[in-house]
Amino acid sequence: MKMHTYLKLTISVLVLLATSMAFSQDEDTSEKDELKIAALEAMISAPPELALPRVRKILEGNNSDEVKESALFILSQIDLPEAQTLLVETAKQVSGVLQVEAIQTIGIGGDPAALSELKGIYDVGDVEVREAVLNALMIAHDVDAVMEIATAAKDDAEFEAAVEMLAVMDATEELRSLRNRPGMSEALIEAFAISGDAETLRELALDGSNKERQLEAIEALGIVDHEEIGPTLVSIYKGSDDKEIREAALEGMLIADYDDGVLELYRTSQDPREKTDLLGYLTMMDSDGIWEIIDAALEEDD
Amino acid sequence: MNDETLTFYYYNDGLTREERQAVANRLATDPGTAARYQVICRQLDQLGAASITAAPSDMVERWHESINRAVRSESAMPRKPVLHTWSFIWGAAVTAALAIGIGIGVYISGGNVSEAVLPDVIVAANPNSSAFVRGLRVHLRESEQGLSETPFDATADRTLLLMRIIEQNRLFEKVAQRNDSPALARVLRSFELVLVRLAADDITPEEAEELQAKLLFELNVILTKLDRESSDESGII
Repeated sequence: MKMHTYLKLTISVLVLLATSMAFSQDEDTSEKDELKIAALEAMISAPPELALPRVRKILEGNNSDEVKESALFILSQIDLPEAQTLLVETAKQVSGVLQVEAIQTIGIGGDPAALSELKGIYDVGDVEVREAVLNALMIAHDVDAVMEIATAAKDDAEFEAAVEMLAVMDATEELRSLRNRPGMSEALIEAFAISGDAETLRELALDGSNKERQLEAIEALGIVDHEEIGPTLVSIYKGSDDKEIREAALEGMLIADYDDGVLELYRTSQDPREKTDLLGYLTMMDSDGIWEIIDAALEEDD
Repeated sequence: MNDETLTFYYYNDGLTREERQAVANRLATDPGTAARYQVICRQLDQLGAASITAAPSDMVERWHESINRAVRSESAMPRKPVLHTWSFIWGAAVTAALAIGIGIGVYISGGNVSEAVLPDVIVAANPNSSAFVRGLRVHLRESEQGLSETPFDATADRTLLLMRIIEQNRLFEKVAQRNDSPALARVLRSFELVLVRLAADDITPEEAEELQAKLLFELNVILTKLDRESSDESGII
């Protein structure tokens, strides 16, 4: 019994010692990392010829990802061709978080030769690597390269990711050129909305040859910030007897917060069921006009 | 009188002599404006103070040594013209940006930035002024300070802060791109990627902490770079 207690005590002390040593080592590592990161920060003030070999040493050494990520950012700010070469080498040699960081840093550096290497990295990379390449191309505003990826996409997911990035980059003309691609996806319609291409969306919203696409386009119109969108949605609603088209137009007005249009429809409607539906939308939109309607309804009761 | 005008007044930049006189008159006669100006002064004073942090003496010595080496080396090299093309009034642009709605999750859609605003800003530019660079510095320092001071668990406050930073960042990026400063535009775009991720609902506190540390490092680097380049222009280190 006594022996057992001693054993437990010894084990406890050993565990405590080990824990405190490990904690102390962690603390040391963290402090060393902080110091290295501070030194890297100071390197931005040094001549590039002096900074580059030091950054290289950090990248090639046994350092934490955090320190290496900081080194990569400094590398992107070094205005020497060797710095860009080192970035590309790193992006090809490492994996995981550091590879993603290295790829995006190539975008920050913006060197055309380094950017041209990204396509090869994209082709052999996994989903995360591909996303990082698209981010890098977006950062570098390389519309042509993203367009190349979109047109060569082997599946819908790849195409959608590239199209989304084109929208983010405001590449209206490039997105329009993809319009006739077979099996145009919802992502492309969203991309038209994100890039603010009201003209293309309006055309799709009025084109009844593909109802599903038409419904998506009508709703997406609501996202576009354009003064003519509200009246267009009202006109689509008024010009159709199709329940789904009308519902999509109302959804568009809801997204665009165009309560004036819904109020107009409410006032002109003679159908109590339709009025009830429209009232529901006005309530969701928290429209000021709803009080006018409630007062009018109460007056009718009186 | 808006806060941007008072900020220009504080920095003694971006206003004509008549405009400065008008601000001075207003401050002397309108207690409300004077009180607001005092608040702005305190905030901007704090921004200056916030950038000073204590470092170990041996590190400071090494920094001084590397800065001295950089000065010796750079003074021997021909100076490149820097940032001169960005110089214009930035305050109006920032004011306009505040009126622009943004969608977190739909990042950097250029269509979200009012295209109509930028040409006016550029037209109003004073090519000899460093107001844009100064405005950018304020934006970066404010971002750095705001992020450092807002706790990770203050979700609503952080989201609002991040939205404001993204708006301003996007505007500076747009203007930098249009004024032939693609390197700065690229850096600002990369910041936005991080800011958008920081504003995401599904981010864990650990990831947020890591990302924020990364962003603060990069903000500091760019601030140092801007300071260095401005000093190069004026001949002062």
